[in-house]
Order: sequence, then structure tokens, then C-alpha cells
Amino acid sequence: MSSPSPPSIEVRDMHFNYGHACALRSLTFDIPDRQITAFIGPSGCGKSTLLRCFNRMNDEIPGARLTQGSIRIAGIDIQDRSVDVAKLRREVGMVFQKSNPFPRSIFDNVAFGLQLHGVSKRALLNLAVEEALISAALWDEVKDRLHESALGLSGGQQQRLCIARSLAVKPRVILMDEPCSALDPIATAKVEDLIRTLRQQFTIIIVTHSMHQAARVSDQTAFFYLGELIEFSNTIKLFSNPANKLTEDYLRGTFG
Amino acid sequence: MTQHIFRDYDNAIRQLQEDLLTMATLTRQNLEQAMQSLLRSDTDLANTVVAADSDVDELERTVDQIGMEILVRFHPVATDLRLIIASMKISTNLERISDHAVGIAKRARKINQGHPLQEAQWLEPLYAQAYALLRDAMDSYTNHDPILGQSLHDKDKELDRLHKQLNRTLSDQLEAPDGRSASWLHMIFIARSLERIGDLSVNIGEETVFLESAKDIRHEYRKPAPQPNPPPQ
Repeated sequence: MSSPSPPSIEVRDMHFNYGHACALRSLTFDIPDRQITAFIGPSGCGKSTLLRCFNRMNDEIPGARLTQGSIRIAGIDIQDRSVDVAKLRREVGMVFQKSNPFPRSIFDNVAFGLQLHGVSKRALLNLAVEEALISAALWDEVKDRLHESALGLSGGQQQRLCIARSLAVKPRVILMDEPCSALDPIATAKVEDLIRTLRQQFTIIIVTHSMHQAARVSDQTAFFYLGELIEFSNTIKLFSNPANKLTEDYLRGTFG
Repeated sequence: MTQHIFRDYDNAIRQLQEDLLTMATLTRQNLEQAMQSLLRSDTDLANTVVAADSDVDELERTVDQIGMEILVRFHPVATDLRLIIASMKISTNLERISDHAVGIAKRARKINQGHPLQEAQWLEPLYAQAYALLRDAMDSYTNHDPILGQSLHDKDKELDRLHKQLNRTLSDQLEAPDGRSASWLHMIFIARSLERIGDLSVNIGEETVFLESAKDIRHEYRKPAPQPNPPPQ
């Protein structure tokens, strides 16, 4: 029997502040490798803040800092001074709430990350772009117009293009911050189907306001409230038999 | 069935249906073997049925688990919702049918300990009718055939008639001082199991009607028949 993979991300006694305000407190948990983990909770519970800690996006916010504890990705403490943040963000890709393609061609959008990391050979770029678009289930829809503007794509296609862009640099982890909130139900279903396919290769963390989406796509779900992790377990278990009354009240809509 | 964009949803539904059909196959096999163990005085076959029931029990748990996971994960609506509810209820009925098959096999084992009971053949018409009901019930589900599902009630009436007839005969035998009262009692209980298998198959047919047409026909046969409107004066 093969032993289970070590966790992709290990969070230990982590506290995070915006200035003097504590946004996350005493977080300790593991994100399993090559599974989909959903973060749910009411607005302001800290789930997006936590997501942005994983690729140090919060570094850009004045006063925002980890005040205690650690985050290790693939065994490396990402707060360590020696960590190259650009390299970290290549390892830990991100897809945002609103699709944000650059005003350039479809090809350029996907090739951008690779070029940024020094890949310039056309043959290599062609191969990587095709591979990323196939993985993002977009290739068949755009293969005949790779050099047209990405802004001509539909909202759902633009979001899958952004996913392709993050896949092209072959990350270990993909962070998704409400990736479907601007999409219609059909585009949402396509992106969700894509996310399920990607879990075979990547560790995915998705922040979502939709409990239904968390139930549909994730393997594990973490429920946060007021900056604390209330419950973290298998998604079916959490949605059918939550261990904590706060989780049950939130899921049943009887909160407060 | 039309495919969903979200393929995991289709995979889960497919798995649910496959497990339910495997359960139906095992249940039919258990019933066949239970009756053959009686009619051929084959105790080994009876033991096989008793052992195989745990597979049906396990599949019932699996179908319920997958059904619940689909409800939790995908929030099914319309045909999908009816499919999940109907499949979970059909699995409960199949499990009960398999339990009756085990009951028949256990009684066959006891009967087989004594002299061969030629009169066991009296059960064959009931068995044929019960088996046909179970077969038709599952055919109505797999072939999406609500008309076949709805027709099972009439077939069950025939099974009830055969059951009453045989019960009278067996009750008479029970009163006769031939020293075989234990065997007659076993046959009465086996006949009762076959009659119940008919009822449970009717339930499956009713679930298929609900699945295919969203109509709840349960208990309708107990309602008084609607009176025709009087002709206009």
C-alpha cells in the first residue's frame, strides 16, 4: 500500500494582523496534496486573507503581517528571508474573482508567465501554451484564433484563460478566490468541471461564498468565523454531519 | 439521460445506477437459488443464499451513501432529484426482497433435513408470479417504462389470489394429523415471503412511475373508484 502524500501546505499556530487588528488567529491545519480544499465562512471571516498569505500577496498591503506561527509549502517556510517571492508565486498560482486577461492576444496571455521566467524559444512557448489551454479545457474553443485579443472571449472563457495562464508555469498550488462569482451558471459548471479535472495534478484551494459550490467541487472544506478556523474536514462529512454547532448553524442558515 | 456539464455529477449518478442494478441482479439470483434449494432439496445452495445476503446489505449501504453524497454535493433537481430518491427507495425494497429470499433458504434448509417434501412444488406458481413481478419491476426501472411499472398492481392481485388459495390448502394440511405440521408451517411462511416479494416489487414499480412521470400512485388502488358523472338531464 502506498503511503499518503505529505501535506502540500502546513499552517502552524498562525496569527495575522492588519496593523493592530487581528484578522486570523491560532490557525493550525494541513492542506492535503492534490486535493481541492474549500474555504467557506461569512464575509470578513478571514478566508481571502488566508488565501493571500499562501503566495504572500498580503506583503503588498502596508501593516499586514504574520505576527506568529508559520506556513510551510512543500516543506519550505514561505516567510523565510531566503524565499524568492517571485519564485513562490510561480509555485503558488492565483485565479481571481474577476477574470483579468491582459489586453493582448490569447497566446500572449498564456505565454506571459513563461516569458517572464525567461522562456523565449518559440517552439517551447507553442507547446506550453497548447498544453495549458488543453488542460484548461479551452483549446478546442480558441485554437483557431490564438492571436486574437483575449478581451473578445466570453466571461467564462476569460476565466478559463486565466486558469490556463496560471497552469502554464506549472505551479504546485493554485489559489482561487471566488473564481465563478462573475459567471453565469453554465460558465460556472464548465469552470467547476475544469477544477475537478485539475485536482489530479495540482493542489487547489478555493475561497467561495457559495456553500453549494464548496460542496460540489471540494474534497475538504474549512469553515472560518471571525478569523478562527472552526471546523476542517472531509466535505461530505462537514455538510452532512458537522461537528461544531457554529458550522451547523451557518450551513443551515440559522446563524446569529 | 442528458449529460451534465459537470462530469462528476454524471459519474456519481452512473455509479448509483450501476450499484442498484448489481443489487437487483444479486437479489434475483438469491430468490432463484433460495427456491431451487427448496425444490431440489439442495442445502448447499441454501447456504450460498444465506452467505450472499451480506453483499446485498453492503450494496444497500453503498447506494444510500452515494445517494446522500449526490444530495449533499450536487443538489439535484427535477428528474435527477426523483432519480436519486427513487433509487434509494428501490434499494430498500430490494434489500427486503433479499431478506425474504434468505428466509426462504433457511426454511428450505430445515425442510431438507427431513424427508423430501414433494408438495413444495405447490409453491411454484407463486414463485413464478413473484419472480415475474420482480423482473418486471426492475425492467420498468431500467427501460424507463412507467406503464410497465403501473401494471404491476394487477399482477400482484393474481399473486395474492394464488397465495390465498395455497394458504387454504396448507391450513387444511396443517389440521391433518400426518406428523408433518412443521413442514406445512414452513411452506406457509415461504408462501407468505413470496407474497411479500410481490408487494415489494409493486413498490419498485410505483417508484419507477414517480421517477418517470412525477406521479405518486402509491395507495391509489385503495381509494374508491371515481364515480362517473351522471348524464346531463
